[in-house]
Amino acid sequence: MREFAVRLLQLDRRFIFVLMSVVTVLPLLYPLGLPVRISPETRQLYDTLERLPERSVVLLSLDFDPASKPELYPMTVSLLRHAFARNLRVVALTLWPAGTSMAESAVTHGAEEAGKRDGTDYVFLGYGPGEANAIINIGQSLTNAFPTDYAGRKTEALPVLEGVRSLRDIDYALSLSAGFPGLDTWYVYGKEKYGFELGGGCTAVSAPKFYPLLQTGQITGLLGGLRGAAEYETLLNQAGKATAGMDAQSATHFLIIGLIIVCNVCYLLSGRKE
Amino acid sequence: MHFWQQSLPLLITCVFGLALVLQYYVPHPASENFLQEISLWSQIIAGFAIVLGVGSLLSAHYQKIARQEAGWGYSAVLFVSLLTVFGAGLWAEGKAEGTFFGWLYDYVLVALQGTMFSLLAFFVASAAYRAFRARTLEATILLSAAVLVMAGRVPLGESLLPGIGALADWIMTVPNTAAQRGILIGVSLGAIATSIKIIFGIERAYLGRGDGA
Amino acid sequence: MAPLPSVSGFPDPSAGSRHRSGRLGWLLLLGLVFALVVGTKALASDSRLTGEAFDMPGDGGGSIGLRWQGNFEEMAEAHYQIVLSDREQGVFQPVVTLPANTHYEKNRVAPWWMSGTPHPQAHFLQVSTVAESPLLNGRRYFVKILALIGDERFESRVFSAVPQPNWFQWAKLNNFLFMLAFSASVLLSIRSARTKPTLFLRRIPGIDAVEEAIGRAAETGRPIVYLTGSGELTGRGDASNMSTIAATVLLGEVAKRSAVSGTAIKVPHRSPIVMAIAQDMVKDAYRTAGRPDGHADESNFFIAADQFAYTAAVDGIMLRERPAANFFIGYYYAESLLLAETGAATGAMQIAGTDAEHQLPFFIATCDYTLIGEELYAASAYLSRDPALVGTLRGQDLGKGFLLVGLVAGTGLLTLGDMTGVTIWETAVQIFHDFR
Repeated sequence: MREFAVRLLQLDRRFIFVLMSVVTVLPLLYPLGLPVRISPETRQLYDTLERLPERSVVLLSLDFDPASKPELYPMTVSLLRHAFARNLRVVALTLWPAGTSMAESAVTHGAEEAGKRDGTDYVFLGYGPGEANAIINIGQSLTNAFPTDYAGRKTEALPVLEGVRSLRDIDYALSLSAGFPGLDTWYVYGKEKYGFELGGGCTAVSAPKFYPLLQTGQITGLLGGLRGAAEYETLLNQAGKATAGMDAQSATHFLIIGLIIVCNVCYLLSGRKE
Repeated sequence: MHFWQQSLPLLITCVFGLALVLQYYVPHPASENFLQEISLWSQIIAGFAIVLGVGSLLSAHYQKIARQEAGWGYSAVLFVSLLTVFGAGLWAEGKAEGTFFGWLYDYVLVALQGTMFSLLAFFVASAAYRAFRARTLEATILLSAAVLVMAGRVPLGESLLPGIGALADWIMTVPNTAAQRGILIGVSLGAIATSIKIIFGIERAYLGRGDGA
Repeated sequence: MAPLPSVSGFPDPSAGSRHRSGRLGWLLLLGLVFALVVGTKALASDSRLTGEAFDMPGDGGGSIGLRWQGNFEEMAEAHYQIVLSDREQGVFQPVVTLPANTHYEKNRVAPWWMSGTPHPQAHFLQVSTVAESPLLNGRRYFVKILALIGDERFESRVFSAVPQPNWFQWAKLNNFLFMLAFSASVLLSIRSARTKPTLFLRRIPGIDAVEEAIGRAAETGRPIVYLTGSGELTGRGDASNMSTIAATVLLGEVAKRSAVSGTAIKVPHRSPIVMAIAQDMVKDAYRTAGRPDGHADESNFFIAADQFAYTAAVDGIMLRERPAANFFIGYYYAESLLLAETGAATGAMQIAGTDAEHQLPFFIATCDYTLIGEELYAASAYLSRDPALVGTLRGQDLGKGFLLVGLVAGTGLLTLGDMTGVTIWETAVQIFHDFR
């Protein structure tokens, strides 16, 4: 028994990789459709958007690249749907150069789906270079930071930006971030200085670091990873890619829990040998 | 040489470091304009870094090809890829919709980056299997917290074990937040102390001479 | 400037409806007589509306503050309306209408060293725009406060103020003083460490393991891989700058030891600027160790700025070259586990050090030793025993001690205050508040 336990402890990690693949793919093919509980931080973000009066200005900073698309793109889709359904003005941009094309496509498709007019109901400003400096520049003057939008139109003349001179005129800013620059950058260089309501979403791996900001009210609402996106889809009653992925996430989490239990049982049986 | 390599950079660091610290406390428009000007300069200077990086990259791989070192073919692939993407970007004027540049973005970059990121799931599983063992009390607490949060953050766990979701939320908002704050306070003080040393020329490692203090 | 449009339904000020304080008594008397005689509701009177307008202290200009008191709070449906004009005799424009039992100054989030102790019934409002136009610095603005109760209106006399930009944000005074005190404690600690170089430093196992890792590399003849993280040194504004500096300083110490033991060191980079600095650090370390000829220029090399392209390349190096030891020092994002797990799979001894708190669990699970948070900053002090670095640690400890005492005392006092109903402690703990 001890021999077996020791051998199992030295299990080839490729075996684990195969298990992981199977456990991920099966629920995608045969979904269970388990209900998703809404966490307080997701509810807070949803409620904040719900409370905004019509034509309020929502800034959506899509600070991610294709690597984080599975987690953050579904959030983008849901937030755009919600904002457009509430008839809010959407000002979208990205601080990540590799995310520009994806961000533009998400905003355009979201607007087309909701029948919104480019330049009047929403605008995609494109990539803002300079990371934290880009936020400072927008904070000082949006039209100086982005003299033209992604389509090359003068931002000064766009009806969607009427009355929006800088970050001080933003009613709610949302950063969907996969790292730096992201939500914490928007807090330090944006909200702290220019005083607007800030919320956002992030990859599951970085969610724990935002809880101190959330608890103190420094950020209002947080969508954490695929789970956060699925919760938002549930709130909107529009199941999408995130909801579809939750069963796979359930299965993989339980596989890892199972692996931890197996390795500890083997560890005890092996007489605590490495 | 000493003036250009040591004294002048230290003077610039000190003056601009102090000015930017004070800027935080000065609400006057002049201070705001100064910050904006500095942020623009910072953007411009950082832009030149890419020249340094691409120069280093191309030089290293050119030498590999020239010396026909092991794996020099990959260096050639790097040159071809770099020139192809650069050329496609220029040709498409940076626009992705309906261009070859966009095709490269959608079907090469997205796929490659997504693959690398998804490796995390596999590596988390293998790392958990290898490392999460109840060797000590601390390790037992770590793995117990990991199991509870993993179970409590997915619908299957909440269906099987009612109440585990609330427990996972509690772990995230209380012990996790408390620990994060502790680390954050220490790190912030360390960062401020390092900044003070840099501003006053006590820490000079960033000058690249290695003669701190 | 064109006259501002008139307030809808509001008497024309030029018709003499604005009252002067000298006429207050007469008007009150007239109102009372009129009420008695006609037997209808009381006429408007401004005697109950007192206040002031002033430039907002410690701001960037473009706003004025209003402080006023009235006795209308108890009346149902009572509202205050603020009207503003840029001329004393001009047309007043409504700014905002508020329920009369809101906007008390006591509820305003402002430090006591700026606002003093507000009167319990005083209201406060900061005005920075009128009709969506910002107030201009240097221009005098005239304000009136109206009390609206049903069909009745009471109005105050005219107050005026000139918005001006200021040179110090007084709300941040506590922050400023802490900054000065902490800076002084760090500088004095460094000075003290130079005169008394025997300050005690707690042992950190991860740092002790550096020698072991280099020794193992020397024995096996395999290289060391040292990563400085994904941080930058370009002032781009993320939290990675400080840990990147710490990583390059520690690189110097590791390179000195590897130079002495004749171990090859490989430092792949994500940032060209960090690479340039690290090149100098390593070269200098070899020179200091008396082995300048042992240094290879190509030990530092740039791979790619892209996160996962860099990660894939470093993973490839680890799998091909099988280094004896891997150092993951600096700031990391999602690549942390991809790097450390690959390194662990090759059987290398691994030492990590990061202040990216959300990546710590991955390093703790996959590395032999992990420097947590500020231990990273302590590492270079511990290895070099440089008085400047050791003194800095002492300064940081003083700052941390102060914050700890503040946290415990503040929590205790507020809890006590809550239990006894005493609010004075809230004022005391304001010195730790983040005001803007």
